[in-house]
Amino acid sequence: MICGLTADEAIHDRLLKEVEPVKKDRDHDQQVLPKYKVSIRNLDGWFGTKQVLKNINLDIKPNVATAIIGPSGCGKTTLIRCLNRMHEMTPGATAKGHVVIDDINIYDKAVDPVIIKRRVGMVFQKPNPFPTMSVYDNAAAGLKLNGIKDKRLINDIVEESLKGAALWDEVKNELDKPGMGLSGGQQQRLCIARALAMQPEVLLMDEPTSALDPIASSKIEDLVHELKKDLTIITVTHNMTQAARVSDYTAFMYLGELIEYGPTNQIFKNPQKELTERYISGKFG
Amino acid sequence: MTRLLDLGLDRIRNIIMDMAKLSENSVSTAIDSYQSGAHIKKQIFDWSEKLRVLQEEVSDLVVELIARYQPVASDLRFIKSCMEISYGFSRFGRYSYDIVDVLETMGSIADCDKSAVLEMSKIVMEMIDISLQALQSRDKNAVEKLYQMDNIVDALYRKYLRDIIESSQKQQQNNKLPSEYNNSPHCYISALLILRYLERISDHACYIGDSVHYIVTGVSSPRR
Repeated sequence: MICGLTADEAIHDRLLKEVEPVKKDRDHDQQVLPKYKVSIRNLDGWFGTKQVLKNINLDIKPNVATAIIGPSGCGKTTLIRCLNRMHEMTPGATAKGHVVIDDINIYDKAVDPVIIKRRVGMVFQKPNPFPTMSVYDNAAAGLKLNGIKDKRLINDIVEESLKGAALWDEVKNELDKPGMGLSGGQQQRLCIARALAMQPEVLLMDEPTSALDPIASSKIEDLVHELKKDLTIITVTHNMTQAARVSDYTAFMYLGELIEYGPTNQIFKNPQKELTERYISGKFG
Repeated sequence: MTRLLDLGLDRIRNIIMDMAKLSENSVSTAIDSYQSGAHIKKQIFDWSEKLRVLQEEVSDLVVELIARYQPVASDLRFIKSCMEISYGFSRFGRYSYDIVDVLETMGSIADCDKSAVLEMSKIVMEMIDISLQALQSRDKNAVEKLYQMDNIVDALYRKYLRDIIESSQKQQQNNKLPSEYNNSPHCYISALLILRYLERISDHACYIGDSVHYIVTGVSSPRR
């Protein structure tokens, strides 16, 4: 992580000042334990009248990689989009419940969703660097949008972010070239660098390698392993073996419900629910 | 819809059941030869070799299925266990061969007291039968009975060993062997070796029970 980063500290301080930590006696069914980075309680999600998330309860420890698996349409992507309040940006989409990150319920009315998106970064299925921007500007985009003007600070953060995304050595002499000129795998790592520049505490990844070849995918998987030393990573994947390789914990969803959640080793060797067993073994879906 | 993995699993299952029949037959034939004095070393050697080849075939198939299909959950537990079970069956074959090899090496044992070996072999054959049935029916509870029987087998082996040692000590004291072992060292040496092989077969029957327990529950039974 970038040390002595005043921008992030300012963002974090602002968030802490603006939002009261969630009170334990709210209408939670269970007490939220501080040992978790993310605690999801009684989370429901809808697209219009269609309920796509049904009473999700999930605790995610800090500095672990969690894979969310399940068949198409089971609510995986909706779930992670609820973790940075991106879900509600879709017209007609709503969510109800609690998502607590470091004792702050991000659905509290006092919380500014923009600040949440800074703390909870996201990488999408298809690499989406800003098409008109250079590699450098892509990595620096979030900082500039947030009013950081100190050029030296931006330079430092861009370099650290590109290093964090394992891209620096490949682009350090081509920072002014278009981001779209990079390979697919490099573009995805550029998007990760763009997210890292905002110093997020949680990084959401929505099928981050589904559009990449095996070598590029492998680099992203290695990166997940490195990044979780500093971040909490939640990744949606359709790739069972990838989930088994990169995650410490795995959550299996089906028809909007969380069916099973546990250590990846257990889920893939000895799942406790028949439905999980059938899904990961390819017996349905 | 049948998964491609299922075709491989069926193939492994068939080989394992072939091995089960062959290994059971090897042990019972070797014990029969101890009783009857029949010379069947070549036959048992061939079966033992066949079991070894089949074990390698299972290992190759397991590696292939892992590489091609990345099995998980009960599929993974099954194929992992099949490697161990096939090894157990190949050991049954090897110990059968060791039993008939003892008989070839020691010469005729027609006049020897065979009761200890026959007593233990009866229990061991029953254990093999229980382990094979457990494998077929996925009976996770069979392992308990197998370990109880293994304790009896161990006790019988230790008792025979103790008796031999005590007899040797008496021989030293009296400068002669007690009557039951007198002039028949080939009897008690052959019996002791065969009891040892039967005791090892008994252990492997338990391991097969362990594997069945693991396949069904996903939890390794504690090694006793």
